[in-house]
This record gives sequence, C-alpha cells and structure tokens, in this order.
Amino acid sequence: MTGIRPGDEFLKEPFWTHLSEGTLHLATCETCGKAHHPPGPICPHCRSFDIGWKPASGKATLGSFAVAHHPVHPLLADQVPYTITLVDLEEGVRMVSGIPKGMEADLRVGMALRCEVVKIDQDLSLPYFVPVEGV
Amino acid sequence: MKTSIVGLGQTEFSRKSGRSELRLATEAILAAMADAGLEVNDIDGLVRYTWDHTTEAAIMNALGLPALKYYGETEFGGVNCCGAVAQASAAIEAGLASCIVFYRTLNARSGVRYGRGERILSEEDGRLINRQPEPPGDVYSAPFGLLVPGQHHALYAQAYKGHYGLTDDGFTDMLGSVAVAQRAYANRNPRALLRDKSLSLDDYRAGRIITEPLRIYDYCLETDGAMAMVIVSRDRARAMNVKAVDVLAAGQYVHPGSVPMLLYAPQCHSLVPPSVGADLFGKAGLAASDIDVAGIYDATSMMVPLALEDFGFIGRGEAQDFLTGGGNGPDGALPVNTHGGLLSEGYFHGLNTIAEMVRQLRGESPNQVTDAQTAFVTLRGASSMVLGRA
Repeated sequence: MTGIRPGDEFLKEPFWTHLSEGTLHLATCETCGKAHHPPGPICPHCRSFDIGWKPASGKATLGSFAVAHHPVHPLLADQVPYTITLVDLEEGVRMVSGIPKGMEADLRVGMALRCEVVKIDQDLSLPYFVPVEGV
Repeated sequence: MKTSIVGLGQTEFSRKSGRSELRLATEAILAAMADAGLEVNDIDGLVRYTWDHTTEAAIMNALGLPALKYYGETEFGGVNCCGAVAQASAAIEAGLASCIVFYRTLNARSGVRYGRGERILSEEDGRLINRQPEPPGDVYSAPFGLLVPGQHHALYAQAYKGHYGLTDDGFTDMLGSVAVAQRAYANRNPRALLRDKSLSLDDYRAGRIITEPLRIYDYCLETDGAMAMVIVSRDRARAMNVKAVDVLAAGQYVHPGSVPMLLYAPQCHSLVPPSVGADLFGKAGLAASDIDVAGIYDATSMMVPLALEDFGFIGRGEAQDFLTGGGNGPDGALPVNTHGGLLSEGYFHGLNTIAEMVRQLRGESPNQVTDAQTAFVTLRGASSMVLGRA
C-alpha cells in the first residue's frame, strides 16, 4: 500500500470497478477466449475487437520481485520498504503487483500465489498476490 | 550500412552544469564538427531522442544553420542509441542528407531526474496520483510503487537470479564484478566522474540497497552535459583526414520485453531472442566471437550479463562465471565498458557508450584494447550496432 492511485477518470473503467466489487477480472476475448493485460482495444491473439471481462481464477506464480528501500518520492519516505512483484496468472497474462504492507513472506521465484483484493477506499481496490503456503 | 562516425564532441560530465540544455547541445555539436574537421554549416541533418528537451528547430536556430535536409527522432531514450545511428545511416544512404549529427543534451542531475517518481506522479490534496494509460509507469503498476527504471531493473535482476538459481553471494559477486571492473576502468579515464574514487568488491558488498537485489553501485550516475557525433557516408569519410570508424551494422527493434520498461514479456531473464544477434552479426559479416570490445548500456549493472548472454558472447546462465572470472576486464575475453560505463564515467544516455567504442577503434581509449578492430554496442535489447576500424 503505497498511497499511489490512478486518477479518478481511470477508476470508472471495468478493470477497476470489478476490483471495487471485490474480484479481479481480466480483459478477455469473446472470440478466442484468451485474456490479455494491460487491457487493450483489440485481442492480441486473434485480433477480435470483441473484448469482454471475465473473473480471474486468482492462481498465479511469482515471476520476480523487488524490494524498494529507497523512496523515489518524498511522500513514499514512510512507505519503504515495500515489495513489488511480477506475477504470472493462470490465464497466461503477467501483472505487476505487490505484497501487502506488513505481511512477512519468504519469496522465491516460481512459487505459487493467490490473488487477494485489498480495499483501499470505496473507489479503489488493488489486486495483491500472496503466497499460497507459509503465510 | 555504408556510413562512418567521423567526429565526437562533448561537454564535461558534471552534476550541475550551470548551463541550459540548449547551450550544452551547441557546445557538444561544435566540438564534434571540429573533431571531424568540418564546417558547422556542413550539418544538413540531425537525429535525436524524442525524450530530448531541445528540438531540431531550436538547434538549427541557435547555431544559425542555413537549412536541414533531414531530421529524425527515435522513441525512448538511451536504449535506442544505436537506432539513432541506424536512422542517420539510412537517411545518408537514401540521399536525404550527407552530414548528420546525433546529439543528446541533458541536465539529468540538476534538472529532470529519471530516478525520481515525480516524473509520473502528481500530488493532489496530499495524495499521489498517476495518470499514465500505457507502460512504463502506468496506472496498473504505479499503485504498487513501481515507478522508475531502476526498480524495473531490480525485477529483471531477481528474475535472472531465480531462473538460474544463483545464491545471494554468487549473484552479488556477479554484479559486483561488473561494478568493480568498470570503476577500475574509470580510475584511468580522465573524463570519468568517478575517476578519483576506487571501488573494491568489499566496498560493493557493503553498498546501500536501493531496490533489492540492487545496490547503489549497480546504478548509473545522474549526469549533466551533452554529447554529439558526426555521421557521413563511408566514401566521404575516406576522403577526409580523420580517424573514421565504420558502422558495419545497426538496428532498432521491438520484441516483447525489449520495449523499455515493459514487463509483460514471457520471460524476464533475457531481453531479446537469439535471432536479434544473428541478424545483426550477419549484416556485419561477423560472428560474436570476432568482436574485440563491447559497450553495453549499463543503466544498471544487470544489463551487462543479460546482453552478454542475449547476443551469444557467452552461453545462457554463464554470466556469473564469466564476470567473476574477469572476462569483462582488461585481460578478459571481452573487455566491456572500458570508459567505466554509465556506472562510473557518466550518463549521456548511451552516447558516451558509443563514443568509447569509437575511441577504441581509433586507438584513443584510456583503457585501449590492443589492436581493437571491431566493437559491439547494445542498449538493453532495443537497439544494437557493430562498428569496425576503417
């Protein structure tokens, strides 16, 4: 939880409204069924413009992680250290995520993760991913 | 390519230039044209990064150039350094211009700092807001605190470490070997910002963690200054009284993951597929094993092992042994970043990486590789180049 948020105009989009309702949804092609991320106007797999939203299983593996110790903005000085992650979802997409502040986790590249949607306020919830075991 | 680099010019590397970026650019361009033995009015083309704050028109007006017949821009910043040379070369070969200057000017310490989150965040009512629809630094990653290139590089580093199962100590010594070797080069380079500061492997290991697993010594320097280089046709270069360096092959390209700071590639322990190196070396009529010295854009030290493996100088997963064994050092199989690199010489967004390779092929490097005939330059999987002694 870094306190950084998308501008309000973004939070009206389906990716964010679904999260606010408690679940991670992925932009998913209605023609070929494959998901992509970040959301785009066209399916990068079959080039259909018919894009819908489907709930993600929440299952993922850890692709990489980094722990920010140096605050790159003055307002982050009391937020560091925080952990940034790259997660590979079962649906075949990669997302940038993190480990919720305060959670102790022994991270290893390739370990199994599950999605945990964390409510920041009534307009914003974020898709964190936490280890399936050992928490 | 049938072009040559015939002139280099730069200002000093500093942390506070005290001058405008436009002023710095003009100083570097005049120096480069003087180095080439050409008149300033011979310039009929310019290439630049879209990220540069000056414009072609501003340069033309400031220098009072009669006209430009061509100008080109490459997207991103330093990662497209070789792309800018490729663009200039293509324009010259197509007859669009005959004497093109590639320049970069930046007050990257006293002005806009790339390592700061302020570039992509605004403060509104005490809250930090991000409004970038596209990577890098987009709304899907910024809320997790992924804001600057140095953090992206840490993710690449951890992915590599995890993929090959390197131990903490082994990984630390791999990157430490890059930082320490390059500092030793910089200690012999009178231009280098850190020429008077030594760095031992113990110093490196004790370095402050910036974004784990990267330490302070893994990061490039924030630098003020400017650099310019002059590119003409190979035929014209042969008629000039200069030490020309030939552009044997150069290209810019995009692959999943090679776009700067886009992390959606399937694998992050490499940046480009093997076909990129095969294509580049094929165009140059050489193999990786023919290269005498390499300039690798080291925004962080991690880019060195990735590039060495991506372009086939060593096998996959061999970087730890190669680097800790001194393979990148003065007596190694492939000396790398003999100016000290962006880590220890300074940061002119990759132009100083190219310049050092030009100096090697002119026989003018402070860490001269004996009888260097060929040099390789790459910028983080987004552009690359092979240079040859004329």
